[in-house]
Amino acid sequence: MTLALLLAALLAVACVLTVALPFLREPEPESDSLEELDETERHRLELLEARDRALAALKELEFDHRTGTVSDDDYRALVGPLRREAAAALQALEGVRTFVTQVPVGEGRPTRERIS
Amino acid sequence: MAELGRAALIVTLGLTAYALVAGAAAAHVGRRRLALSAQNALVAAFGSTLVAAAVLLAALLRNDFSFVYVAQTTSEALPTAYTVSAFWGGQEGSLLLWLLVLTGFGAAAVRLNRGWARDLVVWVVPVFAAVALFFSFLVVVVASPFATQPAPVDGAGMTPSLQNPYMLAHPPLLYLGFVGLTVPFAFALGALISGRMDERWLVATRRWTLLAWTALGIGQLLGAHWAYEEVGWGGYYAWDPVENAALMPWLAATAFLHSVMIQEKRGMLRVWNVLLVILAFSLSLFGTFLTRSGVVNSIHSFTQSSIGPWFLAFIAVVVAVSLAVVFWRLPQLRSPTKLESPVSREAAFLYNNLLLLALCLAILWGVVYPMLSEAVRGEAVVLGRSYYDFFLRIFGLPLLLLMGIGPLVAWRRASLRSLGTTFRWPSAFALVTGAVLLGLGAGSSVPGLIAYTFASFVAATIVLEFARGTRARKALGAASWPGAFSSLISRNRRRYGGYVVHAAIVLLAIGIAGSSAFDTVAEARLTQGQTMSIADYRLTYESLDERSAANATELRAKLQVARGDRDLGTLEAGKNAYTIEQQISNEVGIRSDPLTGEDLFVIAEQIDPDGTIYLRVFVKPLVNLIWIAGLVFLLGSLIALWPDAREQRRLVERTRDVGVPATR
Amino acid sequence: MPSHRAFGRVYTSAVARKANPARLVIALLVASVLAVFLLYTSIAGGGNPSLAPSDLAGRSGQVQLAGLVVGPVSGDAHAGGLRFRLRDISGPSKARVSIRYAGSVPDLFKVGRHIVLSGRLRNGTFVAEPGSMITKCPSKYVPKAESA
Repeated sequence: MTLALLLAALLAVACVLTVALPFLREPEPESDSLEELDETERHRLELLEARDRALAALKELEFDHRTGTVSDDDYRALVGPLRREAAAALQALEGVRTFVTQVPVGEGRPTRERIS
Repeated sequence: MAELGRAALIVTLGLTAYALVAGAAAAHVGRRRLALSAQNALVAAFGSTLVAAAVLLAALLRNDFSFVYVAQTTSEALPTAYTVSAFWGGQEGSLLLWLLVLTGFGAAAVRLNRGWARDLVVWVVPVFAAVALFFSFLVVVVASPFATQPAPVDGAGMTPSLQNPYMLAHPPLLYLGFVGLTVPFAFALGALISGRMDERWLVATRRWTLLAWTALGIGQLLGAHWAYEEVGWGGYYAWDPVENAALMPWLAATAFLHSVMIQEKRGMLRVWNVLLVILAFSLSLFGTFLTRSGVVNSIHSFTQSSIGPWFLAFIAVVVAVSLAVVFWRLPQLRSPTKLESPVSREAAFLYNNLLLLALCLAILWGVVYPMLSEAVRGEAVVLGRSYYDFFLRIFGLPLLLLMGIGPLVAWRRASLRSLGTTFRWPSAFALVTGAVLLGLGAGSSVPGLIAYTFASFVAATIVLEFARGTRARKALGAASWPGAFSSLISRNRRRYGGYVVHAAIVLLAIGIAGSSAFDTVAEARLTQGQTMSIADYRLTYESLDERSAANATELRAKLQVARGDRDLGTLEAGKNAYTIEQQISNEVGIRSDPLTGEDLFVIAEQIDPDGTIYLRVFVKPLVNLIWIAGLVFLLGSLIALWPDAREQRRLVERTRDVGVPATR
Repeated sequence: MPSHRAFGRVYTSAVARKANPARLVIALLVASVLAVFLLYTSIAGGGNPSLAPSDLAGRSGQVQLAGLVVGPVSGDAHAGGLRFRLRDISGPSKARVSIRYAGSVPDLFKVGRHIVLSGRLRNGTFVAEPGSMITKCPSKYVPKAESA
């Protein structure tokens, strides 16, 4: 019985320590704020995803065409818009770094105008 | 030692409560150390739950009957393996297992993703903690595994039908599945609350969802196999509410796995995906509620278990809060891309989703209808097997066909003409197969024939995809044909792993169609020396043997099996009488034909004192394909789950580009 | 940048107009699924009422009966029929229904077991559909019921 209580007490102490660990390790940190992405960074992440998506779609279309899933006609019809989308996504990414414009692309939200 | 167990669970309760409050506060106010502390609380909760689990396991292994739970679920004579399985054999222990897996998954999911998705994880922690808090509350207050009593001489023992290897694996696998669905749910809700609606929550949870879905699928197949061999009525699925409890979340998760691909590729269906994952999670909670509360047959048995109302209340809270959050974030969830054509891969996935969901809801309706009709009309009306079979055919057969069509349609738009060329050979193959089978007599069951024809269509498309893909890779410069094949799979793991899983479903469909639409049954009363015949088999009753095993007396009728003029050996069927549990179990005799995959299934229904036996015999064609399908399913999932180094690199590059530090 | 915004609006509305046929197809599909469902439930007529032995008196037609087995059990399920009685699972009612059952008898069947049968009342005896007996597993999750 006493062994059980002792082990229980040890467990409780270990858990409290684990929970308090961040505060014990850094009693006076320089910054305690969560590293959050601000609007621009978040938008940039979305644009990166859009770019990767467009590039992956192009790659898949090429492969599907090669295996014969997509016919020549369909391929010709689809590859144009996909290439334009990928180009626009790359262009949009360049844009976010310096100044921001409204980009009429399929993915990505319209951005705030900002010149920095 | 029970005090240690109880204390450990109280510690878990406190930790999950802290993780909920501190996690939510930290996320809202943006305090890093507090967020980290909440994460640690989740990890510590796993630790303390592990201690509690160890206490229970130790008590089981040393047959400590002062634990009420141990006395209720085991006995001295019970073999060790089954003593271990008693951990999840009863209400309290299985809840503890659920909590253990839950805290384990939570700790792992949060730790694995904390580096690259920190702003998302910070909200996932309180959501996960809330679910864990509910289950810790249950095991501490409502159904504690650590109740004690003055130890009786021996325990009550385990139901004989549960003393079976399948029962060792079936519940834990199902729990991995049910609990695993909590991870995508928590991430989805975390993404919604935090406003981080980018695709990271999908990428973070993709493998968890696949793992949970696979575990749920394999768990159900094991359960079906157990029902087939052990319960032995000649079938493997009875549309029992407890069986449906696992099928419904699996169907919702299947739909989710497919629609997630659309969101990843085209950014569409964001609202749909979130709603689907909430549905899958709620169904897994509902499923476990059905199994435990005793609501199953009629509302009257509701009062037998006190756990029911708690579960219902929790499910209601989960659904209400989730829907409120979705509604709150609805403007941000709208995707700018739209469906371009009803003939496209997106559309095919959408049709697949609708069919899966329709089947899932039809089953749900069948399960709750008795409860609803009792509440409304005062009389419980039960929907029988024919209801479920009807909807399985009406929604399942088109789904089967779609499985062959979907992967071969282009994204965005496909012209009907290109579809014609793509499907020329598979359609021809399917029609020829159908005609041949019709000639062989498969016309006796129209749904069965349709199932066979559709299955051959899908099989042809899968073979075609692998062949054309390998050829394309060879043209792109692979060294050899095997090299082309393996590089094809390793470069497109999810796609080709998915094709293997589809192949497994095809096998499953063929097995189910064969064994249910084209089976034969015969009954006969035999005295020693008499013969009965079924299909092209002949069974002769040779002798009746009585043996004693560790905890039972076994009575077996020995039968000589012959087909045509070939002797196929002997088969035994009979009954076991378990001494301690005072129960009799049916032990069926099964002879599986390795060439045709069919089973000769013998049930010794009745054994009279004078040695006369009453037999019920089935011939079930192709039934073994169902179990083989399980292995193929596992293979396909493993291929899809396998980590992809290229993909990982791309993910890390993206986050580094944006400026999120890699680890902390 | 007014020109960009105008372009954006024209673009999205153009896409929306082009997407309408797909939306229509989806809507039709959902409607047909619902139609199938309603058709079935209205034609096949739903299911059978599930009753307790105390509710059975005077009922005609196919019903499902759920109750606890009361001895003595006599007869042969494969020759002439197994005979026993059924009582309510819980509650004060003393009603006992005579059952005649033919067909497979599940292993768990014994006096005191919770079973479910389909059949109809004929001349005071409930004649069960052959093979319709289901026994409820002595549930591991529900506290053991009081013995009959």
